[in-house]
Amino acid sequence: MELIINLVVLLILMALGLFVGRYQERKHFAHIELRERQMADMLVTQLGSFPYAQSSFTPPSLMVAEVVIATDYLKNFLANIRKFFGGRVRSYQSLLTRARREAVLRMMEQARDQGYNALCNVRLETADVGGNSQMRRVAMVAILASATAYHASSSATGKTKQNGKQMT
Amino acid sequence: MIVSNTETVAGYRIRETKGLVQGNTVRAKHAGRDFVAGLKNIVGGELKGYTELLTESRHEALERMLAQAQQLGANAVVNVRFTTSAVTAGAAELYAYGTAVVVEADDFSPA
Repeated sequence: MELIINLVVLLILMALGLFVGRYQERKHFAHIELRERQMADMLVTQLGSFPYAQSSFTPPSLMVAEVVIATDYLKNFLANIRKFFGGRVRSYQSLLTRARREAVLRMMEQARDQGYNALCNVRLETADVGGNSQMRRVAMVAILASATAYHASSSATGKTKQNGKQMT
Repeated sequence: MIVSNTETVAGYRIRETKGLVQGNTVRAKHAGRDFVAGLKNIVGGELKGYTELLTESRHEALERMLAQAQQLGANAVVNVRFTTSAVTAGAAELYAYGTAVVVEADDFSPA
């Protein structure tokens, strides 16, 4: 009897992961893509020099963004099976991609709000936020992104449309 | 105060280097947050509580770093880097460090 209850709970959790988790992920990706298109004219590089920099009254300034995303129950379950056999864990790849793209987008939005039109020296770091002992078993990813925002000449910013996308 | 994670600042020249400045903070969220995060793990998605935790920590670490820079008489901090470490479950350390410098506006030359 107990076994059946456990099995039912497990199935419900997995179904939640399957439907809600997948729906959320798809929504998030669509949202990211939409915002990336809106930000397409921003010059984003990870160079330490300031490409196409233009003199302005506001000095360059540091932008930082952080994102913490958790995986859903089903993906976690599938990944655990994968860990037994070894190989590529696809379900975690999308998790990392989502977090990184979201973090870069947040910096871009921050920069735009403050009147900048370019970011250089983008650094992405995976942070460790721990969580309680129960959380330890569940995959979650924390990204800490930093970059320097500055003014670039407007003729240069349009050119990197494709680059901005590839970088993520 | 100009803060940048690049070694130089476009439009400015470094006149004087004051040295390393740093700031750190260890913060934790209350158990309720951890519980909510645990629930969120079933369906996935952003853990806003932990994102907030990181944002707060980062603000505090940066502030401490800037206070140090101010004490040294610097007007900019360049090459700022962040690192994190998990001291214990549920608590995160955020460490920010950079080089305090004195900069002055330069005759602008495009890079």
